[in-house]
Amino acid sequence: MADRLSPLEPVYRPGNHGNLAGGAGVVLGERQPGSIVQLAVWSGQERPALAVMLDVTGMRLPDGAGSGSAREDIAAFGFAPGRFLLVSEAEGLADRLRAALSEELGTVTDLSHGRTAFRIAGAKAEWVLAKLFAIDFALAAFPTGAGRSTSHHDIFAQIQRSGPEQFDLYVFRSFARSFWHTLCRAAEETGYEVR
Amino acid sequence: MLIPCPYCGQRDVSEFTYQGDGNRTRPNPSSTDRAAWNAYVYDRTNPAGEHREIWQHSGGCRAHIVVVRNTLTHAVVASSMARARTRADRREPT
Amino acid sequence: MSPRRAAQGGRIDRSGPVRFSFDGHAYTGCAGDSLASALLANGVSLFGRSFKYHRPRGVFAAGVDEPSALVTVLRDGIREPNIPATMLEIYDGLTVESQNRMPSLAFDVGALNQLAGPAIAAGFYYKTFMGPVFGPLKGTRFWMFCERFIRRAAGLGRAGYEKDPARYERMNAFCDVLVVGAGPAGLMAASAAAESGASVILAEQDAITGGSANWSGETIGETPAAEWAAATTDALAGRDNLRILTRTTVWGYYDGNTLAALERVGDHKPASPAGEPKHRHWTIRAKTVILATGALERPIVFPGNDRPGVMLAGAAQRYALEYGVLAGERAVVFTNNDNAYCSAAAMRDAGAEVAAIVDVRREISPAARELARQAGGELLLGHAVVDTEGGKAVTCAKVQPFDTASGTLSGSPKSITADCVLVSGGWSPTIHLASQAGGKPVWDEQQQAFLPPAPAQRWIGAGGLDGATTSEEALRQGWDAGRASVDGPPAPYAAPLVSSLELDARPAPVLEIPGKGKAFVDLQHDVTADDIRLAHREGFVSVEHLKRYTTLGMATDQGKTSNVPGLAIMAAALGKSIPDVGATRFRPPYSPVSIGSLAAERQAEIKPERLTPMHDWHVANGATMYSAGLWFRPMIYGQPGETVEQAYVREARAVREGVGMVDVSTLGKIAVQGPEAAEFLDRVYTNTFSTLPVNKARYGLMLREDGFVLDDGTTWRLGANDFLMTTTTANAGKVMQHLEYLLDVVWPQLRVHLTSVTDQWAGIAVAGPKSRAMLAACVSQTAVDDAALPFMGIVHGRIDDIPVMVCRLSFSGELAYEVYCGAGHGAQLWEALMAAGQPFGMVAYGLEALGTLRIEKGHVTGAEIDGRTTARDLHLDWMLSRKKPFVGSAMMDREGLIQPDRMQLVGLVSLDNRPLNGGGHIVEHGDGEIRDDSLGHITAACYSPARRQYIGLALVRNGKARVGTHAFVSDPMRDRFGPVEIVSHHMYDPQGSRMHG
Repeated sequence: MADRLSPLEPVYRPGNHGNLAGGAGVVLGERQPGSIVQLAVWSGQERPALAVMLDVTGMRLPDGAGSGSAREDIAAFGFAPGRFLLVSEAEGLADRLRAALSEELGTVTDLSHGRTAFRIAGAKAEWVLAKLFAIDFALAAFPTGAGRSTSHHDIFAQIQRSGPEQFDLYVFRSFARSFWHTLCRAAEETGYEVR
Repeated sequence: MLIPCPYCGQRDVSEFTYQGDGNRTRPNPSSTDRAAWNAYVYDRTNPAGEHREIWQHSGGCRAHIVVVRNTLTHAVVASSMARARTRADRREPT
Repeated sequence: MSPRRAAQGGRIDRSGPVRFSFDGHAYTGCAGDSLASALLANGVSLFGRSFKYHRPRGVFAAGVDEPSALVTVLRDGIREPNIPATMLEIYDGLTVESQNRMPSLAFDVGALNQLAGPAIAAGFYYKTFMGPVFGPLKGTRFWMFCERFIRRAAGLGRAGYEKDPARYERMNAFCDVLVVGAGPAGLMAASAAAESGASVILAEQDAITGGSANWSGETIGETPAAEWAAATTDALAGRDNLRILTRTTVWGYYDGNTLAALERVGDHKPASPAGEPKHRHWTIRAKTVILATGALERPIVFPGNDRPGVMLAGAAQRYALEYGVLAGERAVVFTNNDNAYCSAAAMRDAGAEVAAIVDVRREISPAARELARQAGGELLLGHAVVDTEGGKAVTCAKVQPFDTASGTLSGSPKSITADCVLVSGGWSPTIHLASQAGGKPVWDEQQQAFLPPAPAQRWIGAGGLDGATTSEEALRQGWDAGRASVDGPPAPYAAPLVSSLELDARPAPVLEIPGKGKAFVDLQHDVTADDIRLAHREGFVSVEHLKRYTTLGMATDQGKTSNVPGLAIMAAALGKSIPDVGATRFRPPYSPVSIGSLAAERQAEIKPERLTPMHDWHVANGATMYSAGLWFRPMIYGQPGETVEQAYVREARAVREGVGMVDVSTLGKIAVQGPEAAEFLDRVYTNTFSTLPVNKARYGLMLREDGFVLDDGTTWRLGANDFLMTTTTANAGKVMQHLEYLLDVVWPQLRVHLTSVTDQWAGIAVAGPKSRAMLAACVSQTAVDDAALPFMGIVHGRIDDIPVMVCRLSFSGELAYEVYCGAGHGAQLWEALMAAGQPFGMVAYGLEALGTLRIEKGHVTGAEIDGRTTARDLHLDWMLSRKKPFVGSAMMDREGLIQPDRMQLVGLVSLDNRPLNGGGHIVEHGDGEIRDDSLGHITAACYSPARRQYIGLALVRNGKARVGTHAFVSDPMRDRFGPVEIVSHHMYDPQGSRMHG
């Protein structure tokens, strides 16, 4: 199959940028996971649906709104009532999940092309993100694995904390280039490295 | 103003869209009662005090929320998922 | 060192000079100086000219309350006006000019206004320029004549015209406790709160923490108060649960314990590092707020109280102790309270001579008497300062016996030589934020001041704000507030010993000394005591009206020094008490904020750009892009020398005659999935979708609940319970919200999920008689002939190695297809189709050609679906199912919605062979007279290559019945008048034979 092109292609400049007096405060990058999939579950069917997810992906989610779990190869988190975002390095997750999930439990929507995945990591990640989003990024309020839905003006974002100093952001593809400019600009103060 | 989303927690009002008076009841779809439809589409309560409102967390989880808000102080007295409320008086699909 | 600068002491660093310039003169100061302290140290007394009368003004305060010494900072080619010299930290290269002077500060022609003083008293503008015209020098026209002169003569600093290159940012913060103010109370509160482990933000508007500890001259613990504050701050700075924000003014207290603050990150630096903002706007959401905002001194109002050299006593004390600067060398202190005696003693200690202490009271405390003895000079109890003399600086004060009880003077004035008059009318708690949070301030007779209201939100007051009059009390209150903020048990409090004096905290209730000459209440807006009395005589009895009529307290300082004296004068005029007159409500901002900081988020990009996957190809291939909402779309792909019209006509003709392709990725796309998806679509569309077979699409129409048209589009059935709905580009968000509302609120029992997949799919419309042959040549794994792919059919296949979905539908009226693929393949698909189309003469077309093709066909878009049109108005009544209810069905047949004289969609043909324009009106008469007889308006217009005419679509009253008649276009804004023929909106191939072919 054809390669999936990045919407950032002409504006993605690997290297160090911004104020590097104290070294790069964050590392920014676009990830290109094989699959980004929404699992949406009918009310009352969360347990059996998540059991299917566990079967297909090996991911087990803690209970609670916005809870999630992140590994290097696969991550999942709740971002809305009954809705989960699954992100896998492997392609074809939507098809595998759809095949396993009864329509009585929920629906599967492939968003692999529709969302662009960003990663921000480093000691200043919380600081940079707090410039853009009015949510609390402190570890106590936003634990590792958890997900949040929020927006920066017109740009809607789903955010997962994938490590103590690492966040993955999922943004509508058409906004990706604008958001990348915004994110880079916000990181100029702390200095950033693009990988 | 902050609105407590039952799913996402307290969020700034800028993440929400006002979706109208929460006291309205939609007539039965096949109803031809003009007055009832007129009331549903056009009539709004406008209390100085506690008001039941529908807000959508459009910049977040996108759920619709029933918010009881004091229009004089902006204090939010209660918030719940619109779905939870309507499921409580679940009817057959009409 | 100048004689005005002490050899040691204060926060300043004397090790190297800092060079700056004021009105072109070079000066030096010390690191840590404010512009005010540095200029005072250089012996400068004249800082600016006043707002209305152009009177010479000096510096009156030492902090955020400064009303007079406003300056303009020139930096990077930008003018930043109205900066208080007291809040401006000097740095090497700082360039500043004074304000409101012509041509120079020392010689000012505007000062002639002083001679015309009585003519421009309160209400001058209202009286002179408003209302009916009587005679030549009255009324609005006269204002318009005078405005340009007055605008130059009156006012504050002048803004520049250059774009501000500085960076502004915003920051969101969350904390358990926000402490506002880092004076003794705030430092204690922050310590107590942080000790519990809570997350704490400590915000201080000054460059350094400590507040009054920096200039009280007291000792706290065993050390000078300033050192105690520095050590306490150091201890706090080491904690990882506490953030100290200096140079940060918390200026707004909003609902939900949300506070706004401005951090001046770079104002004090000669240059900012890359990426660092000049200002940072903080939005802080705190569980609890501790307000330790202190108190502000207010003056006693007396004639001549605005001469340079008249200054608040506490300010002089602050200059002496915090900056090591003497405000003058020979001072007269004028007070109604004990505190000013500390200031007198501090001046003496710093090396100034205190000529006299003038106190309106006859009795003072023993502690005050002792301070007076230390200060030296005459102690004149039961006296008042009644005037000053001097040109650009005070040379002497006039003093006269005064009776507090009757408020009258007796005897005759005597002159005391002095170069500064230090005045104190007591202290007002800084209740601004507490008042913004809600509630009415409470008048305290003892302190002659408003205390904060009972908290209407979760805040706790401490220190001067809460009425503390000694540092000891402030420290204790701070500690208690800190503990209470984290719901901690009252922890043992090791009170640091404070060496404060037993002063009498009660000022005498005297805030004005009567007399001849201008006595200024609001120094920044030049409002005098007489102005207030004049307003009262003219019938202004409400304090809110008084404020607006006189503009008292409405300048950039928001009346920090004038509020209480102004109220006292108003109350006296009304014969009421101050609490009966009442305070005006404080509103944000507490002190001026930069517009840049408020616009911070939208500074780099006014709005984000939404780009389709093929965007770069469009740009690289000569497309002129334009914005449609947030989207960027190709308008035309112009060739050298072509006009816009020539380009779109060429593109549209290519589609009608051969084949063209257009990027339709911007169409809204919603995945509608679930067992009841078809049922849901039947309820929201006017027509039926449950009968639609899999792999077929149908055109659908949606109404609003009120029966008007909401949107249209095609919906594709991809599986039994899996639909792909498309919406117009403009309405995608609106339709999504409409549907989500219905599912969440009206029909929660329907098992349907909606997901925005607009960005998941790239879409390309391929249109024209050669489109089928062209697709057949490049699509693999499926046939595309009429049998395999009938009208509204869907097939799945590949183009090159890209998986695609092809639906045969037409917007242009030609044989046409929409080809969809994953957005990440969109650019490759576009290029593949472009390459495959070359043998067929493939042309890329833009929105103008797309619009032309649809106008010729009479298809509607957002211009016609404008929220006021019904399905019938748009000839879409054939889509209204009579077999089922749907959203809008109950309301669409209301009387007003079915009347024949509604505006209905028609086609227009220009009869004078000139273009029509959207927005032009259709009228019955062609004489060019402007009448109120519009029949409707043009919604879209173009040159039609198919008809070789200028045509348009219009909404025209009773339009269906007018088809075949003539009318006229009336477009006075574009001076376009002329005859048109009203025709059917189907202006090309009305039978639709081409797209079914």
